Amino acid sequence: MSEDRNSTFLSWRSGLALSLLLVIFYLLPLFLADNWLNLITEMLIMALAGAALNLLLGDCGIISFGHAGFFAVGAYTFGLLLYYRLASFGAAFLLAIAGVILFSLIVGWFLIRLVEIYFSLLCLAFSQVVWVIVSVWYSVTGGDDGLNGIPIPGLLFSAGGSYYFVLTVVGVCLLLLFLIRESPFGYSLHAIRDNRKRSGFIGINQKLHIYIAIVISGLFCGIAGILLVVLLHAAFPGYASLTKSGDFLFVCLLGGMYHFSGPIVGSFLYILLHFIIHRYTEYWPIFLGTGLTVIAIFFRGGVVGFAMEKYQSYLFRGRTRNASADREPA
Amino acid sequence: MFEVIIFQIVSGLSEGMVVFLCAMGMTLILGSLKVLNIAHGSIYMLGAYLGVMISNLLTGIPGHFYLGIVLSTILCALFGGLVEILVIRPIYKLNEIYQFVTTYGVTFIMMDVTKIIWGGAPQTVNQPAYLQGPVSLSGILLPKYNLALIIFGIAVFVAMHLFINRSRFGLIIRGVTVDRLVMSIFGTNVPQTYTLVFMIGCGLAGLGGAIIAPLSAVSPGIDFSVLVKAFIVIIVGGFGSLNGAFLASVIVGLTNACGILFAPKVALGFPFFIMLVVLIVRPWGLLGKPIRE
Repeated sequence: MSEDRNSTFLSWRSGLALSLLLVIFYLLPLFLADNWLNLITEMLIMALAGAALNLLLGDCGIISFGHAGFFAVGAYTFGLLLYYRLASFGAAFLLAIAGVILFSLIVGWFLIRLVEIYFSLLCLAFSQVVWVIVSVWYSVTGGDDGLNGIPIPGLLFSAGGSYYFVLTVVGVCLLLLFLIRESPFGYSLHAIRDNRKRSGFIGINQKLHIYIAIVISGLFCGIAGILLVVLLHAAFPGYASLTKSGDFLFVCLLGGMYHFSGPIVGSFLYILLHFIIHRYTEYWPIFLGTGLTVIAIFFRGGVVGFAMEKYQSYLFRGRTRNASADREPA
Repeated sequence: MFEVIIFQIVSGLSEGMVVFLCAMGMTLILGSLKVLNIAHGSIYMLGAYLGVMISNLLTGIPGHFYLGIVLSTILCALFGGLVEILVIRPIYKLNEIYQFVTTYGVTFIMMDVTKIIWGGAPQTVNQPAYLQGPVSLSGILLPKYNLALIIFGIAVFVAMHLFINRSRFGLIIRGVTVDRLVMSIFGTNVPQTYTLVFMIGCGLAGLGGAIIAPLSAVSPGIDFSVLVKAFIVIIVGGFGSLNGAFLASVIVGLTNACGILFAPKVALGFPFFIMLVVLIVRPWGLLGKPIRE
């Protein structure tokens, strides 16, 4: 992979671009109407969930069909604590994080024993169990109707308030995820992805690494769930559904799963497309389905992968360069 | 009480048989093509819609109900072949994430296409008069059609078992499952075999959809509900194992029925609980082969 070369090559430029982007994001509420602001908040939440999933998918090469489970555990723990007024906002936030960590520790304990498709399907099984629990336990979770009217502090009630809160939390979380990805731990995950056997020979404790990756990934996905409750003041069983997990996977693929910015770009595009297409037609799934199929067959690098390829061939024009360096690992 | 239990068992088993037809196709494809076909539920839905439409169109012709079932099975198989050639062939050798995503995309496309063609309203069809109503078995009244479904499911299972284990084409399928390279060296046209296996699997799903139509109205959303059930069945039974799929459908059908009887509130969760336990204790399924790491 030529990622390390990229990051040094682009470091000051990307730093400048990022800080510019951050300033723009913080100034956005001054220009945008509330509904657009809510749309961007939704994008940010999706970006966090996608980036969390991508720690397993792109960086470690293991596929989870059930990340919505973590998402829903975060959302429901937080929602229930506030709904029944068992904790204040801050305490509920921390307790929900603790709940997600606990859930990830339990799920991960079983997941690390499995490989390949069995792993993916056990993820699906766990998320479906969460789905069944929240949609059947009417007396506590409100069943199919979900939890409505969760009390959120007045400061975060407005579109602008929830936007700033979500932006800050997502920013911090994405920074943490980026640091994790660039740490020795992250590189060990890459090694496991690229060659499982070899990474074992050089002494990487694969199961432990994957276990930690599952917990981290689940934790950040759960935080995304909490943030969605902050935005919508509600929690629904749909948060744990198979389609939600599919959305997260799609976001990673759309943006490109071998780049950190992939899921972020992917989620912005995904929600924007959903918003635009939904305005004109009710047949959104047909566009989604076509998009999924086309990406899987023709654009496996995703949007960011495609752009990077073009950008690099522009940068390295005229120079010889290993053309396969930036392709997906075999 | 005894009668109620028997009634529940029969209805649970008949539902299990229909899920079995879908899951059998899926496990066949998973076993030999190594592709997890998410779109299988949609093929099932397509089969149900086609069966209803054809048999309602042909009302008056003797045997129109069976004609609907047979034609929808064939059409689903052909449609499956088309899907295989167009979208699944390019992704055989790739990471399974792409297979998941492609077939998932096909699911969404079909979800909308069926909605455009047949609308959102539930569609119904009636079984022939002699399969309607109950039949009395030693004093217990049981619905005829459910009993017919159980017998039919077992018959299809036996037929498929003979086909896979005794016929020449079954031998080729088993060979391709074990080693496609060696089979192609021996002169088997592997891509063609794959297409045929995919067609058989989709035909079975279409058959399942067409025969359940008289019992429950056909409406959007049955694709995902049957997909999840078929998932459970192939996991519990073991990937690629026909016998396992049969056993698992019986188990899942019975637990569902008993769950509805004794604990209706949490019945929805029972099959998932079985899947969870199996995946934790015996990840390769009840009758599957252990995986090597």
